Amino acid sequence: MNISNNFFEIFSLQQDFDLDTEALTAQYKKLQSQSHPDRFSGADDASRLQALQQSSIINDAFETLKSPVKRAAYLLSLNGIDPEEHNQSHLSAALLMQQMEWRDELESATGDEDMDTLERLKQEVETEKKVSIDEFRKTIKANDFTAGKAVYHKLQFVEKMLSEINHAEEKILDY
Amino acid sequence: MALLNIAEPGQSPIRTQPHKHALGIDLGTTNSLVASANSEGPFIIADENGEALLPSVVAYQNQEEILVGQEAYKLSDAISSVKRLMGRGHADVAHKLAYKLIPADDGGMPLIETSAGPKSPVEVSAEILGKLAKRGQAKLDAEIDGVVITVPAYFDEAQRQATKDAARIAGLNVLRLLSEPTAAAVAYGLDKKLQGNVIIYDLGGGTFDVSLMRLEKGVFEVLATGGDTALGGDDFDRAIARWIEEQSGQETSQQNLSGLNAIARETKHALSEHSEAEITFNGWSGKLDRQTYYSLIDSFIDQTLKACRRVLRDAGMKNEEITDVVMVGGSTRSPRVQEKVSDFFKQELLNELDPDQVVALGAAIQADILVGNKYDNELLLLDVNPLSLGIETMGGLVEKIIPRNTTIPVSRAQEFTTFKDGQTVMSLHVLQGERELVEDCRSLARFELRDIPPMVAGGARIRVTFQVDADGLLSVEAEEMSSGVKSSVVVKPSFGLEDQAIEQMIRDSHSQAEHDRDMRALKENQVEALRIIEATESALANDADLLETKELKALQESLQLLRDSLESADTDLIKQRSESLNELSTEFAARRMDTEIRKAFKGKKIEEVDR
Repeated sequence: MNISNNFFEIFSLQQDFDLDTEALTAQYKKLQSQSHPDRFSGADDASRLQALQQSSIINDAFETLKSPVKRAAYLLSLNGIDPEEHNQSHLSAALLMQQMEWRDELESATGDEDMDTLERLKQEVETEKKVSIDEFRKTIKANDFTAGKAVYHKLQFVEKMLSEINHAEEKILDY
Repeated sequence: MALLNIAEPGQSPIRTQPHKHALGIDLGTTNSLVASANSEGPFIIADENGEALLPSVVAYQNQEEILVGQEAYKLSDAISSVKRLMGRGHADVAHKLAYKLIPADDGGMPLIETSAGPKSPVEVSAEILGKLAKRGQAKLDAEIDGVVITVPAYFDEAQRQATKDAARIAGLNVLRLLSEPTAAAVAYGLDKKLQGNVIIYDLGGGTFDVSLMRLEKGVFEVLATGGDTALGGDDFDRAIARWIEEQSGQETSQQNLSGLNAIARETKHALSEHSEAEITFNGWSGKLDRQTYYSLIDSFIDQTLKACRRVLRDAGMKNEEITDVVMVGGSTRSPRVQEKVSDFFKQELLNELDPDQVVALGAAIQADILVGNKYDNELLLLDVNPLSLGIETMGGLVEKIIPRNTTIPVSRAQEFTTFKDGQTVMSLHVLQGERELVEDCRSLARFELRDIPPMVAGGARIRVTFQVDADGLLSVEAEEMSSGVKSSVVVKPSFGLEDQAIEQMIRDSHSQAEHDRDMRALKENQVEALRIIEATESALANDADLLETKELKALQESLQLLRDSLESADTDLIKQRSESLNELSTEFAARRMDTEIRKAFKGKKIEEVDR
């Protein structure tokens, strides 16, 4: 494995938003079998340090490619777009309205400890996430990275919303 | 051109090194075990009486004698459950202990008062590890090349570091810290060929862990882990003890506490077999029935089930997807625990491997692999970090850098910036935990990045990198990206020991035997030197006239040098000066002998010749 390779190359995969997750997982396990620090427990310090670094990179690469949202950001950055650079005009008024509605709902459901509403809200946001992922796929296929970035920011909002819902649920469940 | 042997990917080239000796050690709160593995599989190493369990109990009798295990068990000053103190501050220790703690000045790990002086929980654990390693060494009749020590999956950074420090003090080469449920899964997966989505429910004496693992051929992967490092069968004992106190109307003194705890433990065991238990305590007697007992312990079991629920949630898995539930830890012998866990997962429980031994057996298998014996039986263990790791940001909030249940080893970086114009120092506070506020998380370390070139606020780009290794131990590095100014720390947890302190403990424990030997040698040489000094002095007092002035002077000088060295406690110096004085006085002694003999034969001092 060459650690300067990009994450797709590490797993010998085509650089594309659509990927074969089974092939990714199989490749991941094969690479970890070779690079995991446990394979080098008797080796010298330099080899062990190298194993630690390689194994960490493989884990990071796997996590990035496994998640559609992280994969989207990674693809944008490979195409010279900084996905984290934000510009309010990217966000449509409709999305902002939706955000506010969701947030209101989250707040009152959290206050009422209403798990059913939170669950329903989660489903709604999940559906929106799927729609956005399909949208992102189209922009990437068309090589329209500027549009892709706008969709990615929508995905980020959706992800943030999901994590807040999860957090609220965990609070109610006292985890 | 020479033909090259190329190994298949994933297959190691054939190694021809001799068989190495490795141990798996389960360092438990109440009991510890040691195991090893050979070509036939893992096996527990029992003591000379056939006892597999070593009670995790240490008693310091005086400066010299340290008792560990069964021999310390019944003593009133025995130190038990020390695992609960590992990597913990005094304020974390919630319950009554049968021994006294000395809080640390900095709020760090407290020391334990013993008759051999204050001892760190790390040192006490090192005694237990040392005892187990000796047992292994004797059984295998070989030097130990390495050990795998198990820790609760839910042990945090400080607790893991403390465990590793204890191994260092005991002089052991740690191949890996392995999570206890993961070790149990290795035993079931390799020995019993278990596969699927498996829950490992591990309730020990003082800790509870639950891991959800996916076991496939050759790859054992932790999907999520949870638990409580201060919850276990000891809590059942304490609940019974409190009940006895209430019922009998007697408050127990610190001296009687271990006695009461023993009664409580016996009652607990009796209630695993029978529907009620008779109790006598300090003249009071009564009965505890199962129903009452269950009302005392159900809240603890419910806490474990809550952790199970969270683990399922973290892994995004439903109850129905779980293929097997493996029971680990002595406390899973409790029928009530079995009943409630079985109800929760709606299935029969697996406990065909002894729940007390399964962790040590798994650790032994992994140790055997890591030490390099089992190259043809490669196993990939993918573990996770149990708790989120983050850094303090403005307003006392925690920014998570590595979320919980991330597969390790892992390296993650995040960029931060300065908030004041011309700011040249940035202090970083590393935290562990799930909550948003700094005060609700555990502080792991603080360090500073200095010499940041002065820039406008927000101008500096400080990249903080967290690296967690396969043992779950963290190191942190900070770098200012535009100038390349770097600062890195291996996180020494706030609750850990300084390297210096560890070195001192290593010297103390390792060199204890050596020290005793040295002291004996010093004593012997001092006595010998004194004898020579006295003999020479008395010879000089009688026969100084037999010596030339030069000879006399040399002898007196040598005598003085030896006298001076007596105070030095330097064995070698005393020995060397004794020898030189001895050499110088040999000629003197010979002359005196001649004179004496001559005198004797002249018949001048007959009575002396007769004597």
